[in-house]
Amino acid sequence: MATAQPLPAPVDAERRSPLAVALTALSWTVLILFAALEIFPFVFTVANSFKCLPAVQTYPRSIIPVPPFGVECTYQDGERAGASRSPSETSGAATFNPTLEGYREILDANLPRWLVNTGFFAVAVTILRLAFDSLAGYALARLKFPGNRLLFFTILGTMMVPPIVLLIPRFIILKQFSMLNTYQGLIVPLAVDAFGIFLMKQFFESIPGEIEEAALVDGANRFVLFWRVVLPMATPALTALAIFSFQGTWNDFLMPLLILSGNKDLWTLPLGLSFLRGAYGETLRWHAFLAGSVITTLPLALIFFYFQRYFVEGISYSGLKG
Amino acid sequence: MRKVHLLTMLVVLALVISGASAALARQQVTITLMGWSSSTAENDALMTQVDAFMAANSGIKVNVNLVPEYDPTIQAAFASGDPPNVFYVDSSRLPDWAEAGVLASGEGKIENLDEHYESLLEAFTYNGTLYCPPKDFSIMALQYNKDMFDAAGLDYPTPDWTWEDLRAAAEALTGTDAEGRTVLGLVTPPNFERWLPFLYQAGGSVLNEDWTEVTLDSDEAREALEFYVGMARDGIAGPPSKVDAGWGGEAFGQRRVAMAMEGNWVIKYLLDQFPDLNWGVTELPRHPSGGQATMVFTVCYGVAADNDYPEESWKLANFLTGPEGSTMVAEEGFGVIPPAKSAAEVWLQAISEEYGAGFLAGAPYAHKWQFPVGFGEVFDTFNAGLQLAFDGQALPEDVIVDTAAVAEEVLAR
Amino acid sequence: MTEATPVAQKKPPTTMAAKKRQEAIAGYLFMAPALVIFLVFLIVPIAAAAYLSLTNWNGITPVFDEEAFSFVGLDNYSDLLRGYHTNEAGEVVKATTRQKDFFIALKNTTYYVLGVVPTQTILALILAVILNQRWLKAKGFFRTAFYFPSITSSVVISIIFMWMFTRGGLVNTTVQAILPNYESNNFVSWLDDPRGIIHILLEQFGVTRMTVGDWASNRVFGNTLWEWISGPSITMSTIMILNTWTTIGTMMVIFLASLQNIPGSVYEAAAIDGANAWQILRRITVPLLRPTTFFVVTLGLIGCFQVFDQVYVISSGGPAKTTYTIAYMVYLNGFDRSAMGLAAATAILLFAIIFTFTLLQRFIVKERANV
Repeated sequence: MATAQPLPAPVDAERRSPLAVALTALSWTVLILFAALEIFPFVFTVANSFKCLPAVQTYPRSIIPVPPFGVECTYQDGERAGASRSPSETSGAATFNPTLEGYREILDANLPRWLVNTGFFAVAVTILRLAFDSLAGYALARLKFPGNRLLFFTILGTMMVPPIVLLIPRFIILKQFSMLNTYQGLIVPLAVDAFGIFLMKQFFESIPGEIEEAALVDGANRFVLFWRVVLPMATPALTALAIFSFQGTWNDFLMPLLILSGNKDLWTLPLGLSFLRGAYGETLRWHAFLAGSVITTLPLALIFFYFQRYFVEGISYSGLKG
Repeated sequence: MRKVHLLTMLVVLALVISGASAALARQQVTITLMGWSSSTAENDALMTQVDAFMAANSGIKVNVNLVPEYDPTIQAAFASGDPPNVFYVDSSRLPDWAEAGVLASGEGKIENLDEHYESLLEAFTYNGTLYCPPKDFSIMALQYNKDMFDAAGLDYPTPDWTWEDLRAAAEALTGTDAEGRTVLGLVTPPNFERWLPFLYQAGGSVLNEDWTEVTLDSDEAREALEFYVGMARDGIAGPPSKVDAGWGGEAFGQRRVAMAMEGNWVIKYLLDQFPDLNWGVTELPRHPSGGQATMVFTVCYGVAADNDYPEESWKLANFLTGPEGSTMVAEEGFGVIPPAKSAAEVWLQAISEEYGAGFLAGAPYAHKWQFPVGFGEVFDTFNAGLQLAFDGQALPEDVIVDTAAVAEEVLAR
Repeated sequence: MTEATPVAQKKPPTTMAAKKRQEAIAGYLFMAPALVIFLVFLIVPIAAAAYLSLTNWNGITPVFDEEAFSFVGLDNYSDLLRGYHTNEAGEVVKATTRQKDFFIALKNTTYYVLGVVPTQTILALILAVILNQRWLKAKGFFRTAFYFPSITSSVVISIIFMWMFTRGGLVNTTVQAILPNYESNNFVSWLDDPRGIIHILLEQFGVTRMTVGDWASNRVFGNTLWEWISGPSITMSTIMILNTWTTIGTMMVIFLASLQNIPGSVYEAAAIDGANAWQILRRITVPLLRPTTFFVVTLGLIGCFQVFDQVYVISSGGPAKTTYTIAYMVYLNGFDRSAMGLAAATAILLFAIIFTFTLLQRFIVKERANV
């Protein structure tokens, strides 16, 4: 659109130069391109989760579902009953006949139980972190006590040790406390995290201290003050922390494996899903694995979409004062 | 079908649980069996086996614990001093675990010795001690795409093929498919264990008999590696990635190679995922001098050294590997071959002669996949060199010399 | 409230000392839950790892056994850094592969960090600035879209990525659709190509191992100089793309939040002064974001130096050791090669490296701020 054309421009577009228009177009292009790049793999994940196993192998790129829906993946009767149907029968280069086989397989594999377990585990860890991280973050930000700085740097330092080397020492400690194969064993070690303390500390440092000082002079004790005055102000930061914690624990794999593997009733989603990969990856049940991935990702995506407004406000307080 | 199976399992499980609580008063012994998780069907079959064992031994309850990422899990259990009573031991891990003292000696404990293949028992013998009874095994063999052989007018491979035959066929079968993509004659994974059969066929070895000296730096090794790398350099063979696959079985299933040298795990995979493929299998080719060799990858049921119930543990291990126990698995016809010779025959019937025989035939002359503790460094050095050699960035000669040097170093530690 | 807090209500502490003491006690009480958990589940394991790095423990024999391990002093560190150690009898025990592998891993990890941290930071910033424009519609959609990969577990993501990047996979065929000259027989083997990208670049200018001169054959820490300058391999670059792709959303959200904290009046003032969009970005936005940038870069450094999951799932260190990373070496030594003492030493060295880089980065950001 040329500048010579004096269009009845909207109010905020009064000063639109050709450059601005070009910039806007470029911005849209970048945004859409990146959004496509980020979402693209999930389109294929979802499409392939609705295919029969041989079709996943032979026609992974077809993404357009066409009727008949709900096809069977094995021959039902006749000479080859029970054998896998050939991929070309259920799929082509661009289209495929959706089936629920993958979802059926994973539901048979106790998925509802894993889902409940994972939810409980993630919620418990998140609640504990909200409490403990904010208490610690507040102390580090506001209260003067000997060793304050040292403690903070120690906590930061713990993030720098590769967790893989701590697996066995942690396991042994849990065993000493008889916490293996229990929920406590999984939850307690994760009830605090360095990142969360860091986040909360930055937040508390960024809010003015006058309100608290006034309350202190009024004679409120520190804890009541924290609970009644400080925490309500921290809602955005707490939301951010909640989402990060929930997402992290939801996808956690290695610790649940070591701690819970002995008790099938306690398995989490990532743990259960990894069983579908089989021992050497060669037995991978692609369709079921992808179906499981869809089911794992969906709740988190919904939660994020719902909370993303608060999320953005909350995280802003983590900006460090270099 | 699986649903029904699962349902019965659940019922059995419920019965076991209720039975267990009732039996608590009767002083029942509980032992744990740990392993890695395979396909659902295989896991179910193990449960059936264990149920049969518990039915026959009412005083013993078995907790089955199958996990993914087995190594870290069981290592944590060992290190904390709380190992499972019975567990899977891969023949390649046996030296590490035996050295660490976590494995109970199987001398005088293992029954049905004469039922097992010699090569399997040898794989679980370390420093003269037999540790554990074999659970199952897989053998490398040659898979070939019948359609491609037909199209090229070639005869199917036979057990008396030599390296020359393999090469000639690979050359003839290399070309392009209907979509213009390269099709290679043979897939040659860049891994030490895939090359070892050629070394053994040529009469070479990695270490001497008692593992005190490195014997890898030899003319036989050079010949074997030059042959293996030579085919890739000539463009008639190559690693799976060359033909867009993650591993040899996939390359073969996708019809991007005419021949592959995988183990019997490939059977189920091909039948499940590539039902249209028209393929056959035979033994690995021989060295022109007639030298025959293949690799056996095998797993046993180890019993923990630190064990409250050694009696019961051995009873379980012997049951699972004995004629009765292994026949139960054999009938299901999974990818892996059950250990007892009689069961192996049953397996052959279940999986079909057509696909199974070529693998099983290698059992008498197969070499074990097992090296001293810390040899991971050696394999990785070799694999890295092999990869470069495939690309022409390293000479087979140098790969052998470098690998031998690392082996010397590790052995001296 | 009056009844609930009789002590505090009685009267505020009179002396400064008493007040300080009270505050300190409150501080420790607030920290208590965090401290206890950190102590038991992080500090003690870290101390244990530090101690075990001085032993030859195999990671298998029960650690409380009498003969589980013996104390070997700094031998593990010596193996990693010097390539040998001296045993009790005074003999030199060679460990050239250990040294070589450690420095290969260090090299790969460093290339990885140098590639990923700046890229993800800059891309995240650009996306955040665009997303922060007032005219933009469907912000919620874009935020969620960009954040999507962060939600999915890294194992699932890695497997999907492998599938896309196989030689005949989605990536190559898509490129082919755009560039018809890109023939299928010349496809890049993304997941299995050990060539370093700097080596490839140099080759374009006719510089190869053969023509570059003898200096390149000098060995530093067990690897030739030519190997040191390889750059990340194609496969490592693929993993770098994967990691950038997954973390960009998180980083973007952090920037976005911080951008929203900049008062609109600042921009308006600048616009009145006649500053153009680029000047505003360069002179106002970027400087004001410096604290956030520090935070993002610090998190990025810590995360990137510990890259493990993707390597474990996608490449297992290959091809030709070009995706060995330090964290992967920790795993390999501890769980594959039965050398947990060595694994612990590797982990402690990694800790030291990250710590140094973080300090360095902090120093640089501060310096720049003073200019």
